[in-house]
Amino acid sequence: MEDKAGVEFVPSIVGFLCNWCTYAAADLAGSSKFALPPSFTVIRVMCSSRIDHNLLLSTYFKGADGILVAGCHPGDCHYGEGNYYARRRFALLKKVMETLNLDPERLQLSWVSASEGKRYAEVVGEFTEKIKELGPNPIKNSTRF
Amino acid sequence: MTDSELKGAVLPALKKPGGAVRDFLRLAMEKELADAVILPMKVPSGDSFAWILMNDISLLDDAVPIAATMPVQGAKALRSLTRKGPGNLKIIAVMRPCEIRAAMELSKLGQVHPENLILATYDCPGAVQLQKYVDDPAGSEEYFAGMLQKGKPDDSAKPVCHTCENFSMFDSDIHFGYLGLSEKEVLVIPGSEKGSALLEGLGLDLTKDLQAWEKGIDQLKADKLNSRKSTFEETKAQLNGFNGLLSVFANCIGCHNCQSACPICYCRLCYFDSETAEQDPDALITAAEKRGGISLPVDRIMFHTGRMAHMSLSCVSCGQCSDACPVSIPVADVFSYVADQTQRTFEYTAGRNDGDPLPLRQFRKAELPGVHELVKDADAEVPSHE
Ligand code: SF4
Ligand code: SF4
Ligand code: FES
Repeated sequence: MEDKAGVEFVPSIVGFLCNWCTYAAADLAGSSKFALPPSFTVIRVMCSSRIDHNLLLSTYFKGADGILVAGCHPGDCHYGEGNYYARRRFALLKKVMETLNLDPERLQLSWVSASEGKRYAEVVGEFTEKIKELGPNPIKNSTRF
Repeated sequence: MTDSELKGAVLPALKKPGGAVRDFLRLAMEKELADAVILPMKVPSGDSFAWILMNDISLLDDAVPIAATMPVQGAKALRSLTRKGPGNLKIIAVMRPCEIRAAMELSKLGQVHPENLILATYDCPGAVQLQKYVDDPAGSEEYFAGMLQKGKPDDSAKPVCHTCENFSMFDSDIHFGYLGLSEKEVLVIPGSEKGSALLEGLGLDLTKDLQAWEKGIDQLKADKLNSRKSTFEETKAQLNGFNGLLSVFANCIGCHNCQSACPICYCRLCYFDSETAEQDPDALITAAEKRGGISLPVDRIMFHTGRMAHMSLSCVSCGQCSDACPVSIPVADVFSYVADQTQRTFEYTAGRNDGDPLPLRQFRKAELPGVHELVKDADAEVPSHE
């Protein structure tokens, strides 16, 4: 997708990755030299359940085109059950965004374990494609907040 | 809620429902089945009400059990009394159903300890908007008398009252019902073991079946559900993305009154009042450079959406936020609609008292399909761990 000036849209995506699984997978994907999109900012968190709604909302309102939350597969959370709670919390925020028509598709949850470097590259790649199709987050250009 | 196997005791209501409630409380205090009661009472200036915890029976005469308006959400009164524990006084609190439901939510959050409370509700006709009441107490009392007579809200009532489907007994210990009955009687219906024990202690026999009352409730409920549907459609149409939020909250002055008045927002320091929520000045300048300009301060939409995410699962649609808003933003219409959507997602109804924890404090291993699907197998749970 290109904007009016013909510049290719490179979505800025923020990934909140669990230290124990997905962050390690990102590392692995890097060292395995899988192709990764250039504008993906990684924020390491200690567990997917650490992520408060406000972190995601302010990332969205600051203009991120996409937000990925990724942690250990169900049953594998380092702290036992964190990701089950994270999934509920995520579903709640998505519902709020959906109700307000604040494009909920820009929000994505996924599970990627430490050994799944390839899967990490696929998830990130697929999400980036999805965001490219959606286009830039319109809030990015709003002067109101 | 309504259950045809239930029965209630009949109270003579020569002085209208409020009077019957007062007589009931007097009897409970005289028989020492309650140490104190919590009721609204007119403030000295006469233009509002305050919650009074009273153990002096003579004060009952000045109490107004079913007050025309609700300045402070009753759950807040119950929290102030029991936040550190149940205490050892047996107290009967008479409140609107939305106030008792908010107290139930607060109890799930460890902020209300209802063990020694007897929570009593009544068929709530609605509440007059606070500003209207303050502007014209006498006129408002007349409106409210009409609402009590018909059992349903009129134009002076809070907008959320028109769409409230939980206006009658909802998991309370005792309920005073008058809808669908003759003007001369009020039913007192036990809703829990605590409630039954109290009625037994008072020697009130459950002789009256509830069909007439239930019919009255069901009729009204059908009306309310209709207006709920159409009002929600209107709200939905306004919530069309970021611009929709900007226009709904266009006049918001960021006072956070809506949050202070909300019974659910009990946090001593809200994230949105904290230093963390403050934006870095340099970041604002960068944003302004990138965007061509930026409104200051930048906290309003984030505040409202953040609050929706944080508390809408517990929102009881009491309308206090709208009453508290100095610039007449229909905060409660928006929150009530969002709450309806989020509570549905988890098949939850705020205020339910069935021992079920809050939705975010529980989970099922296999649930919410589709929430995390992306790359093909992402949806599959890992079976060996189930
Ligand atoms: S958000 Fe408004 S309607 Fe909902 S519980 Fe709080 S004050 Fe009541
Ligand atoms: S009470 Fe009204 S003006 Fe104040 S923060 Fe809430 S919506 Fe904004
Ligand atoms: S530790 Fe990875 S999701 Fe909890």
